[in-house]
Amino acid sequence: MLDKIKSNFNTQTWVLIPIAIAINIAVGQIVLVLKLPVFLDSIGTVMVAVLCGPWAGALTGALSNVIWGIAIDPGAFPWWPVAAMIGYMAGRMAQWGFFKNWWKVVVTGFVVALTAAIVSTPIAVYLFGGITASGSSFITAYLLATGQGIWSAVVSTSFLTEPVDKITTAMIAFAIIQGLPKRTIGGYPKSNQVATEGGASSTQLYIAIGVVVALVLFAAFMLRNILGG
Amino acid sequence: MAFVNLQNVTYKYPLTEKPVLQNLSLQIQEGEFVSVIGPNGAGKSTLCYALAGFVPHFFKGEINGEIEVDGKKSSESTLDEWVLNVGLAFQNPFNQISGAKYTVFEEIAFGLENIGVPREEMKKRVEEAMSLTGISELADRSPYSLSGGQQQRVALTSILVMRPRLLVLDEPTSQMDPIGTREVFGVVRRMAEEGMTVVMVEHKVEWIANFADRVIALKEGQVLMEGKPNEVLTSDLLAESGFGISRYTSTAREAKKRGLWKKENLPVTLDEAVKGFKS
Amino acid sequence: MHERLSFHIQRDSFLHRLNPLTKLVLTLTLILLAFTFPWYWTPHLLVLIAVIPLSLLGKVFREFMLTALRLIIPAAGFLFLMQAFFQPIGTDIIFQFYFLDMTSESVLFAFRNAMRIVVMVSAFTLFLLTTHPSELMSDLTRRGLPGQFAYVIISTLQILPQIMAKAQTIISAQRSRGLDTESSFLKRAGSLIPLIGPLVFGSLVEVEERAIAIEARGFTSKHVKTSLHEIPDPTFDKSLRWVLLILIIISIGLNLWLS
Repeated sequence: MLDKIKSNFNTQTWVLIPIAIAINIAVGQIVLVLKLPVFLDSIGTVMVAVLCGPWAGALTGALSNVIWGIAIDPGAFPWWPVAAMIGYMAGRMAQWGFFKNWWKVVVTGFVVALTAAIVSTPIAVYLFGGITASGSSFITAYLLATGQGIWSAVVSTSFLTEPVDKITTAMIAFAIIQGLPKRTIGGYPKSNQVATEGGASSTQLYIAIGVVVALVLFAAFMLRNILGG
Repeated sequence: MAFVNLQNVTYKYPLTEKPVLQNLSLQIQEGEFVSVIGPNGAGKSTLCYALAGFVPHFFKGEINGEIEVDGKKSSESTLDEWVLNVGLAFQNPFNQISGAKYTVFEEIAFGLENIGVPREEMKKRVEEAMSLTGISELADRSPYSLSGGQQQRVALTSILVMRPRLLVLDEPTSQMDPIGTREVFGVVRRMAEEGMTVVMVEHKVEWIANFADRVIALKEGQVLMEGKPNEVLTSDLLAESGFGISRYTSTAREAKKRGLWKKENLPVTLDEAVKGFKS
Repeated sequence: MHERLSFHIQRDSFLHRLNPLTKLVLTLTLILLAFTFPWYWTPHLLVLIAVIPLSLLGKVFREFMLTALRLIIPAAGFLFLMQAFFQPIGTDIIFQFYFLDMTSESVLFAFRNAMRIVVMVSAFTLFLLTTHPSELMSDLTRRGLPGQFAYVIISTLQILPQIMAKAQTIISAQRSRGLDTESSFLKRAGSLIPLIGPLVFGSLVEVEERAIAIEARGFTSKHVKTSLHEIPDPTFDKSLRWVLLILIIISIGLNLWLS
C-alpha cells in the first residue's frame, strides 16, 4: 500500500502539483469571467491523477481546496474530500486504461462526476443542511419543496449538474496531455497510461463533444421540467 | 587518475533515434577550470547533465561507457548521493528558484536544509557564500522580485553553498551584464584555485580566454579539439566548424591574410588585439 | 488579481508569538465547537467571546474586520437567505414567496448555520493573519511532516499569483483581439481554449527543469532535514494544546451522548 502510494511521487510529481493547483484555480477564475455554466476547477487535478497516479491526484485535489480556501474563498475548505475523490477516481480510471481515447475519457469524466456527487452529498447535508451557497442549490430547494427527502434532493441535484462539468474537464485534460511533447511527459510516474490507442481521432472527438452537448440538453430539459412544472 | 573521467560515453534520450553524446572521452584534473564550447546541438547541456548525474539517472534513456568523478562511478551511485559531490547550475534562472522560500537567504539555505546541515553552520555558510558572490544586500528580498542576472547569481550561490567537489555550470551568465559576468568568472576562478573543479559551458569566448585553464570544443557529441584557451579559440578548425568565435580573432585572421597582423598567434580579447596591432 | 497570497501581517502580539501548531489546534477547536457543541447559541457566543477578542489580542482587529466585511459576511448572509427560504422545515410561516416559505424555524436554523460558517471562516482568517506560511511549514516539518508537503504548499502560494497575473494578461490580450464576455454562449465557450492553452502549456514545459534544479539541491536526499528557522514551542503552548484537545473531546462526546 505505502509502496503503491510512494510510486505516484517523484520529484516531477512534486513540481507538477503546485502548477496543477494554480491551473485549477486560474482556469476556474477564467471560466467565471467567461460566465460559462461549468466550474472546470479540477483540470489540473485530473492531469496529475493521470500522469502520476490516483494518490497524487487525490493530494492535488485536497490541497487545491485548502489553497483556494487560503487564497480566495475560505468557504472552499470543507469540500476538500470531494476534490480529493475526484483526483483519486480519475487516477484509478486512467490506471484501468480509461484515458486512452476520447470515448473512454468521456466514461472517465462520467464516473468521476458520479463519485463527486456521492462524496459531496454528506458534506452538503451535514454541514449546510443541504442548501449550500452555490447556485445549483435552487434546484435542491425546489426538490425539497416538492416533498423529496433531503438526501435524494441533494444527490439528484449533483447528478444533474456534475456530469457536464466533469466530462468537459476530463476532455480538456486529455487534450492538454495529448498536446504536450512526448518528451515532456516521459518523466512522470505513470506516463505510460496516456499512450493513445492510435484513436485520438477527430471523429471520436466529435462524438465525445456530441455526448456532452446531449448531456447539456438533457440537463436543460430536466431543469425546465422541474422548474417549469 | 583524473578527477573527472569519461570513457567512451554514448547516450540517447528516450524516444530519440540519434545519440547526443557519441563515444565521448575526456579527463579533467582536480582544481582545473575547464570551459566547454560548441554550436547548438553539440551536446553541451547533455554533457553537463551527465557530469551532474541527471543523465541517465533522471532522464533515463540509453547509456554506454562510464562516467567517473572522484573515483566513484555514476552507474553505481544514486542521484541523491551524486549531487552531494557535483553541483549543477544552468541557464534559465527563473526555473532554478525553488519556490519553496520567501527570501533569498532562505532560498540559498534550501539545499543545506535538505542535506541536514545544522542551523548555526547553515547560517554561516549562507552568509559566506552570499558575500563571495556579492549578493549579501539581496538577503531579505523575494527571489521572484529580482532581475534575471540577480536570479542567476542566486542560483549559482545556492549551488556554491553546498560546496560540491565538482561544479558544473551551463551558461550561468547568459542574463548578466559585463560587470556581473566578470564577477562570476572571478568567483569561479577563485573556487578553482581553492581546489574546486569547474566545468563551465559558455559562449563568451573573451572571458573564457582570460579565466579558463582549458577549453574543450564539442561538436556532434564528440570532442572536436581541446587545449589551452588561446590555442583552441584561435584555431582555424574552430572557425571552419561553425563555432561562435571572437570578433577580434576573425578580424585579425583577415588582417593576417593581408599581412596586417604580424604576430604568429591570433588574439581572442580586445586587449590582445590592441597590443598585437600596435606591435 | 491577488498580489500577495499570504494574508499574514507581521506584528508582535500574543497570538503571533504562539507556536503555529498551537494556533492550528486553536482554529480547529473553534470550528469543531461551533459545529458539535450541542447548544443552539454556541457559534454566536464563540464569535463574541473568542473570535473578536482573539483578533484584538493578535492586533489584527482592523484587518480581520475588513476581511469579514469583504468575504465572510457576504458569504454567510447569502447562505442565511438561501437556507431561510429553502429549508422546508417548520410550520410557523412568516414570509412567503411563490413556493418558498420562510418559517421561524427555518430562520433560526439558517441563522445558526450561517454563524457556524462565520466561525469557521473567521477562525481560519485569524490563523492566516497571524501565522507566516513558512513558519507553519518549518514547524510541521520539524514534527515529521514530509518536506515535500512544505514545498508544495509554499510553492503553490508563490506560483499562484504569477499564473493569475499571466491569466489576467491573456484575458486582456484576447479582449483586445475581440473577446467579448457578453457574447453568445458558443462564442464564449469557443474562446476558452485560446485562453487556457498558453497558460497551461507554458507552465507544464517548465516542470522538468524545475525538478532538476531542486534535485540538484538535495530535494530527494535521504538525510534528516534541518531547518533554518527555529520555531519556539514553550511549555505554555504544549499545555494549551492539551486543554483545547480536552475541550474538543468534551464537545464531541456531549454531541454523541445527546443525539
